[in-house]
Amino acid sequence: MRVILAEDSTLLREGLVRLLAEEGHEVLAAVGNAELLLKAVAEDPPDVVVADVRMPPTHTDEGLRAALEIRGRWPGVGVLVLSQYVEKRYATELLTGETEGVGYLLKDRVVQVDEFLDALERVAAGRAAFDPEVVRQLLGRTTHTDLLARLTVRERDVLAEMAQGHTNAAIARRLHISQSGVEKHTNAIFDKLELTGGEGYSRRVLAVLRYLGS
Amino acid sequence: MRVMARRLVRCGAGLILGTAAAAVELLFALLAGVALLPVAAWPKGRRAVLRPVLAGARILAELERGRLRMWLDLRVTPAYEDVRALRYVACHWALGVLGGVVMLTAAIGLAYGTFGVYGWLLLDGIRNPGSLVLGSLGGFFLVFLTVQGIFGVVGLEGQLARHFLGPRHQEELERRIAELSASRAAVVDAVNDERRRIERDLHDGVQQRLVALGMLLGRARRSQDADRRDRLLGQAHDESRRALDELREVAWRIYPTTLDEAGLRAALETVAERASVPVGVEYALAEEPEQAVATVAYFVVCEAVTNAVKHAAPTRISVAVRAEEKRMYVSVRDDGCGGANAAGSGLFGLARRVAALDGSLSVDSPPGGPTLVAAELPCG
Repeated sequence: MRVILAEDSTLLREGLVRLLAEEGHEVLAAVGNAELLLKAVAEDPPDVVVADVRMPPTHTDEGLRAALEIRGRWPGVGVLVLSQYVEKRYATELLTGETEGVGYLLKDRVVQVDEFLDALERVAAGRAAFDPEVVRQLLGRTTHTDLLARLTVRERDVLAEMAQGHTNAAIARRLHISQSGVEKHTNAIFDKLELTGGEGYSRRVLAVLRYLGS
Repeated sequence: MRVMARRLVRCGAGLILGTAAAAVELLFALLAGVALLPVAAWPKGRRAVLRPVLAGARILAELERGRLRMWLDLRVTPAYEDVRALRYVACHWALGVLGGVVMLTAAIGLAYGTFGVYGWLLLDGIRNPGSLVLGSLGGFFLVFLTVQGIFGVVGLEGQLARHFLGPRHQEELERRIAELSASRAAVVDAVNDERRRIERDLHDGVQQRLVALGMLLGRARRSQDADRRDRLLGQAHDESRRALDELREVAWRIYPTTLDEAGLRAALETVAERASVPVGVEYALAEEPEQAVATVAYFVVCEAVTNAVKHAAPTRISVAVRAEEKRMYVSVRDDGCGGANAAGSGLFGLARRVAALDGSLSVDSPPGGPTLVAAELPCG
């Protein structure tokens, strides 16, 4: 994959560059602020961008703003946003508009190298990757608790996996159930949440997430 | 006794001056009244006449303030309104007259009392020495009474000036409450700033290091090559030590425990040791200040030193802490390039912290240096 990194901590930036290089990915640019990120993407659009939410000068949400701009201007570029802590607002903002190839991970998730690389690949491939913690909070805070209450425990597990962006095959693997079992659960979930089943994997994830975050 | 006598003479002179001033004030009040009479019912005209009248009243009131301060030891704040100055001037003449009467009486008493000394110059022969002695006794008694009178009038002068010019008790209280509310709000802000800084320190320092450490370990686990795994583990080991150092730094910045354990001097010496520029500490306090004061003094020094090292490239910083008459003076001087901004977040936060203790902070930092950050704190 061709990757551009934006992270203001030199330490972490260097670590990520090394990690990606070891995994055989090509790092086109590694920058320390949002302005340089946009410039780098404009020069040579990558498959995927990894951006920290907080970057200079104000350390608030420059990274997220840049990510949203990239989503708008270069729809083919996947965007994986790293955040210090779960901000429902960020997740919700990322989920509005075109939502193919977005990801939102907690920064600490980078420590789980396998999970991080997996999320990065999913986003690069135009799918989604949402941090389990983000999903947990969206599930916990949703205003649709009455509808969620209809779900069985197993269905909730499947919903959480789905919202993180996993495919049915992956969910089956992770929850140790058959793929047809997963499909049965997902259909039940869509029925209970009154979501009209859309085509395509990513759309269903985002439909769920958007529904939870609304 | 001598002090008393000196004060009496000064007060007496002050009253005589007051009488002279009263004549001017009475004239002024009369003229002002005459000038205002024809325009009393006409607002625009009244305003036009009032302006010079008020300006004149202020001048007279200022002169009076000078007289009260120099001769009668009465201090009145200069922060009064012009209208009140006019009222004061309009009323004060009566007191001036009273002062004059008292002084005249004193003179008469003195004349009678000392008649025995110069009487023979005026009279051919003293036929009745008994009545002369009685007369002089009466004269001295009168002098004694007028001494009481002088201090009484001085007391009245003070009351009148405070009534018209000084802040009234209620106002004084309101001002103080406003001041306290402002400083309380500033404390809350300062605390929030601190918390923000701590959060930033934790996230941008410690957390990044821990994430980097985790990544190194993750890479080591994924590595197929034994040599590379060993190298990555070695790096991770170093990184963990750095993360610990960083954590210690952050904890120290949040609150220096040395301050509690070993006192202000030790804490300041630690600041000096940790700085990358030579820092000289002159500590001249006889006893350990209260904790609140010590903490603020510590942060003033810490912040000023950090700022200087970060922005001014000094070759030397000198810190001085001394106390005088229940006030503590903390100063941090550096020979760097100056141009520190007192409204910048760090120094502004410090100023708020100092103000919360009713102290004051000044920053003098001309471009080209040197910079002096000085705090004055009440203590004891």
